[in-house]
Amino acid sequence: MRVIRLIAGAVFKESVRDRVPYAMVVFAVLLIAASYLIGQLTAGQDMKTIKDLGLAALSIFGLFIAVFIGIGLVSKEVEKKSVFGLLSKPVSRTQFILGKYAGLVMTLAVNLGVMTMAFFAMLYYMNATTPAGVRAAWPSPAMDPRLLLAIGLIFAELMIVTALALFFSAFSSPLLATLLTLGLWVAGHFNADLRNFENVVDSAVVVAVARGVYYVIPNLAPFDVKAEVVYGMPIAMRAVSFTLIYAAVYIALLLTATVTIFRRRDFK
Amino acid sequence: MTSAIETEALTKEFRVGFWRPRMHCALDALTLRVEAGEVFGFLGPNGAGKSTTLKLLMQLIYPTSGRATILGRPAGDLDVKRRIGFLAENPYYYDYLTVEEVLAYFARLFGVSGAAVAARVGAVIEDVGIEAYRKTKLRALSKGNLQRVGLAQALINDPEVLFLDEPMSGLDPIGRHHVRDLILKLRQRGRTVFFSSHILSDAESLCSRVGIMAQGRLVACGLVSEMLAFELKGWELVVSGLSDDVAGRLRTRVRTITPLTHARFMLDLPPEAEPETLIGELRATGAQLVSLNPVRETLEDYFVKQVSAAKPRT
Amino acid sequence: MSAATVDSRPSNRVGYVAIAVLMAASIGVQIVRDRGWAPFVPPDPTLWLQSGRVAEKVFLGYRHLVADVYWMRAVVYYGGKRQRAGAQQQSRAPATANFEQLYPLLDLVTSLDPHFLVAYRFGAIFLAEPYPAGPGRPDLAVQLLERGIERDNGRWEYFEDIGFVYYWWIKDYQKAAEWFKRAGEQPGAPAWLEPLAATTLAQGGDRQSSRLLWTQLLASDVEWLRNSAQLRLRQLDAMDQIDELNRRIQEFEAREKKRPTDWRQVGLPSAPLDPTGTPYRVNPKTGLVDLGPGSILFPLPR
Repeated sequence: MRVIRLIAGAVFKESVRDRVPYAMVVFAVLLIAASYLIGQLTAGQDMKTIKDLGLAALSIFGLFIAVFIGIGLVSKEVEKKSVFGLLSKPVSRTQFILGKYAGLVMTLAVNLGVMTMAFFAMLYYMNATTPAGVRAAWPSPAMDPRLLLAIGLIFAELMIVTALALFFSAFSSPLLATLLTLGLWVAGHFNADLRNFENVVDSAVVVAVARGVYYVIPNLAPFDVKAEVVYGMPIAMRAVSFTLIYAAVYIALLLTATVTIFRRRDFK
Repeated sequence: MTSAIETEALTKEFRVGFWRPRMHCALDALTLRVEAGEVFGFLGPNGAGKSTTLKLLMQLIYPTSGRATILGRPAGDLDVKRRIGFLAENPYYYDYLTVEEVLAYFARLFGVSGAAVAARVGAVIEDVGIEAYRKTKLRALSKGNLQRVGLAQALINDPEVLFLDEPMSGLDPIGRHHVRDLILKLRQRGRTVFFSSHILSDAESLCSRVGIMAQGRLVACGLVSEMLAFELKGWELVVSGLSDDVAGRLRTRVRTITPLTHARFMLDLPPEAEPETLIGELRATGAQLVSLNPVRETLEDYFVKQVSAAKPRT
Repeated sequence: MSAATVDSRPSNRVGYVAIAVLMAASIGVQIVRDRGWAPFVPPDPTLWLQSGRVAEKVFLGYRHLVADVYWMRAVVYYGGKRQRAGAQQQSRAPATANFEQLYPLLDLVTSLDPHFLVAYRFGAIFLAEPYPAGPGRPDLAVQLLERGIERDNGRWEYFEDIGFVYYWWIKDYQKAAEWFKRAGEQPGAPAWLEPLAATTLAQGGDRQSSRLLWTQLLASDVEWLRNSAQLRLRQLDAMDQIDELNRRIQEFEAREKKRPTDWRQVGLPSAPLDPTGTPYRVNPKTGLVDLGPGSILFPLPR
């Protein structure tokens, strides 16, 4: 435990100082600021646009950070052999992986937190500068606390992506790991279409395969409650709870698989 | 008495090639024993299997067959790892952490805590001579300094057995001198040092025993003095700032003078010459010593003979 | 963490078991959640890019790939809606399927990939289909196909399809014949288009020319077109059969001054079956033959 905490702390220190995630956060904040201008262009849809854009920015930039740091901190480490330094210490390979993951999640949380604060600052500004009449017409309030739920789910989704990045880093090169992680992220969002396959395709075999794939690859679409939150529609808390449980289980699955592979690997 | 390091028919084969894989034997049935307190030099050309052996001992890779033990426990045992230190070839740590931070991190991994951390870190920083760079981020360090940091992290836990893979690589002569002193100091303290190198002169001066690897096999192992006739064939002295008339005067005492780049000259001295005296005289004329290497053809001969005799593995 | 032996790599049996258990658990959680829950679909789904023109510029080199993606969405969207709509019809609930997004989606797909033949043709056929199977917009169908002509080098298929829409859905036989004729004039057009134009003009709405049309579509390489054609042909067969049966019944009535009580009286060994094998039924009020209940040929055209 202590070892895991130490490794996590080192990962956090290292990645917080790394320039690329820093740049991502800056970009995201700029985009959120720019969304105000974009909102002006959409004729009355400005609050919706700002929320849409803001949440999308958090999602996309969060994704880049998760993938970049995740891959960088393990795949790169294996390539550059700094992993030798750690593994020759009284540190088991399991502790190595768990410590890395904990550190990555901490970094992600901080980055996402900064972006969220910028986002809410923007919303506060919008709220303060819009007349009451217009505000009443908004489908959901500016500083809607449900936005935090949406962001929380985004964070949960990114925790899965980070675990994915870590998993692929355990056995492939940085480039391949990046491609696989991003590929599965895309596939995970189109997953919902797989579920509808049986409505459209006749072959029972294809439907069975589609169903199988749907269940196995990370199902990321349910983490996206942006539409409900922006439209002020109710969110099924039962579904959300199950989705969070799914996240926990899937992350555990990925970490177990990562440790299993990592333990038997040769580091040439 | 348990040995410090022991291997028994340790073998490692790698699959090479993707489409029609064949097995490449990187290490072939290595059987070796290093006693506590020894300084053991593990010599051989590149690709001989030295790094492979070290990685097997650290359990960074797994053997195909055979065993390895350190201090009586199987290699890779976590308790044993508390008592050893390892320096990899071309080490890389963490770009954005400072020297102090990295060393403190490693110290804490060993269970050192509180004020003792700063004390240990300070001690090893001094030992390797990197005080000037305490607070520098690792990405800003030169290769030589990075090597010193590597040494420092290997010593952070005051290990009983120290494993070094090419410890002199990337170091300037002062650095190498430092390392040599360090190893001797450790030897005095009764520590065991196992290091690999392809620079033979280092091995000679430091090691009690050496092992010579070629093509994955141990082709010779034993006391240095037993293996070699220690015939000195001459000296290679590199100086700079040699003026022409001084060079002229030297011609009787040296066999050849070869100009090198950067206004340096290599003087080839016969074995009976006393290089220390000559260096002193040259210093008086304003020349500077760059390096002095004994030429022991015997060791080279012996090494080359052993290495070329080793038939390549299929 | 115990020491691992050096002779072999650490055993991963625990790991494999854990992975299997966790995988099963993750699937289980999903199954439980998915019961009675479907992802939220916004009331008017925002296709961020409604304009094909904008999309063209945005996606640059990847247009065809993006077109494929949108096409997949269109298929799933349409397929899903059809299924829901079909289910609603069976439960006699009012049709609430709205296909508003179908045309924009198809517009997007064909803007990004102007040569996407199937998208034009699929779109046209199903845009024209009336409720509950489609939005019932033959005008949009023609519009889409006209765009196909404009962008995809005037392939004869588009002309023919427009003719078809006019023929079958709009029932403007004059226009249909015109389009069939123009189709016949395009390079690569099959030889039967010209005579079809002539027949349509002469007899438009006639079962014979309809049969001709559908028979041609039977040879199509697009599966759902083939299936559609097969269904339509069977419907035409059924209509022919019904006409013949009714003719015999009326002949009998005229002769015997009463309705037949048995099929053998009109010269049939047993109850006649429609082309799908469902027995016809006799309407007790009119004494005439009708499609049996549950026949998939229902409703017969016109």
